[in-house]
Amino acid sequence: MNEDEAFEYVKGTLRSERITPYHPYEIEVVRSIEKCINCGLCINHCPVVAAVGIDRFSGPRSIAVELSRSPPEYWSTADIVYLCTGCGTCREVCPKNVDIPEVVNLIRARIFKHRPDLVPKGFYVVQEPLTEYNLAFQPWEDKEEKSESRDMRLEKLGLPYVQDRVLDKAEILFYPGCQAEERAQEVREAAKVILDYFDVDYTLLDEMSCCGLPARLMGDDQTARSLADRLKKKVKKMGIKKVVTTCAGCTSNLSDLSYYFDWGVPTVHILEFLAEDIGLQRFGEDMANSSRLSPVHVTVHDPCHLIRHTSRQIMDYALEILREIPNVRVTESEAYDSCCGGGGLVSYHSRDVADAVVKENIEAIQKTGAERLVTPCPLCTAQIENNLFKSGSSVEVDDLTVFIAQRLPKKG
Amino acid sequence: MSDSEFDVVVIGGGSTGTAVARDCAMRGLRTLLLERDDIASATVGTCAGMISSGLKYRNEPDIMELCSEEVVHFNHIARHIMMKIPILAPLLDLSDAASDSGYIDAYSEHAEEREVPAMMFLTPEATLEIEPMVHPDVIASVYYEEFFIDPFRLSLLQALDAINHGAKVHTYCEVIGFEKTGGEIQGVVFYNRITGTTETVRTKLVVNATGPWAHKLARMNDSKLDLRLNKGTHVILDRRVVNVGITARALDGRWVYLFPHENTTLLGTTALDTWEDPDRLVASFDEIEYLLQSIEAVIPSIRESRIIRTMAGIRPLVPDWKVSEDKVTRGYQIVDHENGMISFTGGKLVMCRHMAQDVTDLVCKKLGVKAICKTHEKPLPGNEDDVDVESLSVEYGISLHTLERMRARRGTDIVKILELTKEHPEWKTTICTCEPVIEAEIRYAIREEFPQTLNDLRRRLRLGTGPCQGTSCTYKAAAILSEELDLEGDDFLVDILDFKAERWKGIRPSMRGEQLAQEELAQGIYTCVGNLDQSDVDYDLKPWEEGA
Repeated sequence: MNEDEAFEYVKGTLRSERITPYHPYEIEVVRSIEKCINCGLCINHCPVVAAVGIDRFSGPRSIAVELSRSPPEYWSTADIVYLCTGCGTCREVCPKNVDIPEVVNLIRARIFKHRPDLVPKGFYVVQEPLTEYNLAFQPWEDKEEKSESRDMRLEKLGLPYVQDRVLDKAEILFYPGCQAEERAQEVREAAKVILDYFDVDYTLLDEMSCCGLPARLMGDDQTARSLADRLKKKVKKMGIKKVVTTCAGCTSNLSDLSYYFDWGVPTVHILEFLAEDIGLQRFGEDMANSSRLSPVHVTVHDPCHLIRHTSRQIMDYALEILREIPNVRVTESEAYDSCCGGGGLVSYHSRDVADAVVKENIEAIQKTGAERLVTPCPLCTAQIENNLFKSGSSVEVDDLTVFIAQRLPKKG
Repeated sequence: MSDSEFDVVVIGGGSTGTAVARDCAMRGLRTLLLERDDIASATVGTCAGMISSGLKYRNEPDIMELCSEEVVHFNHIARHIMMKIPILAPLLDLSDAASDSGYIDAYSEHAEEREVPAMMFLTPEATLEIEPMVHPDVIASVYYEEFFIDPFRLSLLQALDAINHGAKVHTYCEVIGFEKTGGEIQGVVFYNRITGTTETVRTKLVVNATGPWAHKLARMNDSKLDLRLNKGTHVILDRRVVNVGITARALDGRWVYLFPHENTTLLGTTALDTWEDPDRLVASFDEIEYLLQSIEAVIPSIRESRIIRTMAGIRPLVPDWKVSEDKVTRGYQIVDHENGMISFTGGKLVMCRHMAQDVTDLVCKKLGVKAICKTHEKPLPGNEDDVDVESLSVEYGISLHTLERMRARRGTDIVKILELTKEHPEWKTTICTCEPVIEAEIRYAIREEFPQTLNDLRRRLRLGTGPCQGTSCTYKAAAILSEELDLEGDDFLVDILDFKAERWKGIRPSMRGEQLAQEELAQGIYTCVGNLDQSDVDYDLKPWEEGA
């Protein structure tokens, strides 16, 4: 056997022994997980454990000290690891900074490779459009219908339509993410309204493609990597200076990608962009001139992908921005930073778990007496909106980007 | 069968002694196994569990052939407690490869019968893809595959199978003398440490399978036995940190290894001629440093991994002196003292069944019994069939991983435990969170596998062997043990102290890095919450405990 044949043989044994070697960048995750001292602090903070109990989801500690120790047995964790919403609360409260959300991805990636039959069937709804259209959702078949849907939403929300801009060169890439591209189109439009209002030199992609986060969460590393590479190439070619997004998941994932794979281009959420690039002072001065909407009482939900996967600073900005908008009263919800259950693709296969997790939020939101909930993530928006509606609540939900765009003065 | 009359008394409940008891019982001999502590509580309990192809012993072709045959047998009788491990030997300079190519041919000669490939060379790129922790300057690597077995379960299953075939197995019974007539053994006198009584049984023959104590037992029988005792130490990491096994030349040119084992990684081993008392043995600072420095040459970041403990044991080698340890034969010798006692020296884990076969042949010949060995044909308990843990998980409502770990210990016998949860659904509770172990398996083991202490449960279940080393399971398991065995409050506390002491023995020598945080938490729980440091029970500190 020559060396190449030998390597092929070894790969065969690794496959049959269900071993996918750790990549160099995964060793850092393994090192972090080694630090777990089984103290159990995370169990008391895990929203999934709180919602469904330890018998259904054994919790972050068990992932650290039990489930993640022997890669050849990762397949046997399939009844547990898909129930993690990836909210990152465990990592935040951990005295040893054990990176549970990342080790969950690492385990899911190996189940995907070695036991695709154990991957939740619900994921294939996402995987198909990802591999076929590079999007997390099936794109609209009829482009006209898509525009009609968009216009209806704009009309209902009282938002103007700003023409799409696709330029060869621009300072900023506005990246709406799949949800705002295909479903919550009002978020994409609202961001354009804001960017346009402040005369930002921005562009959209000529063809939108997913950042790869859903593929990573389901364990399809190959698709995740190819989507990330595709995006990186475009970003590099356009020579843009910064990516601005309206999606919490995209913000954290693109920031990670940029860090680990040397994109050299930072990604910020539009809230950060408003606070840091436009400036709160300018924003406030302009807002002072706005008299577009009547007084409103809101409460805020913090998306996990911003506060725990990126930075809590972003939600501090959100509150500062809300303070600059006239006629807005904010009441903090007791569960303002508790996971909405919409993460980790859990709702794609275990709706009951996702909805059990959001229950705490729903109760706390209603207690605030606010008439409206705002949150800067289209995924959280959808998950909370659905469940408020189901619970018979009259509280309405707005994506924070839309909320801001609605209150900007008329340009001119 | 009479409780006091036997054809053969086997002394020593390690891998060899239990194999001998099984073989004797299967051939219809009235058999008694006496063990001073618990099954697999000494030498075999500190080994890596490698069912070695014998490649280190290429100068002994008949030994390599024997090892290879035994691997085939184990794959037939005990596959449910075995794992195949792919192994890389990274080469960092050409002299590594050139100086030592003989073993490649020797290994490959018997590879086919074990259904593994001949040794192969891999490129540096392939090596680093398989194991990115390997030193980037690697120039090539040698690839091969070996099998590993759970040495605790192997010994226990052999003992249980011996019982199934009519043998008696007594643990915590220490032999203190022999009754002899005309220089011939007629009976064995032993002290029962559980009942506190001295008992005597009559027997025709005694097989001395006491490993590093064999010479002492022979002396008790006025016989002389030479042994070369050799200490081996392992460092244990908290999880599988390497994708495959790694072997490398140590600082002194011996081979050392880093093997994934169950859900840990073992770094071993040292080999030091020793005259220490096996009961007081602990890993030394020098041994730990020797192992770390040796493997560091090929896995430079090894010190960043978390060491949870060490384990040290003594090999009872054949007494070849005036040569270095690695030149001593890894074969075994059967010594017939011609006075009713037959002793072993030497041997390896992989040979235990074969050693038993040889000695049982001799026993049968001496007793005039005609019966052939079947230990390589009949499966050990649990290996009768494949186990579908996925459907069991659905049927019994227990997590897949819990069942997969249980399956790796028990094979088809897993169902006996799961059945208990029908009447007692509360026994699905996880007691040891690291491995994990549920209450039903603890109850089952206590009732069916004759443990007396928490340490015995550990050997049967891997209880408390994970990263936290019993921080969170000891009290829970002790409560169950006390209930099942009807222990008094003081016994309960002493058993917890014993268990913690046994953990401490392995933790103390290597304690550093992340394990310090773990130990601090454990101390907090046991002293601040459990008040264990204030207990006034009658407990003697172990030799390795501070203040002893």
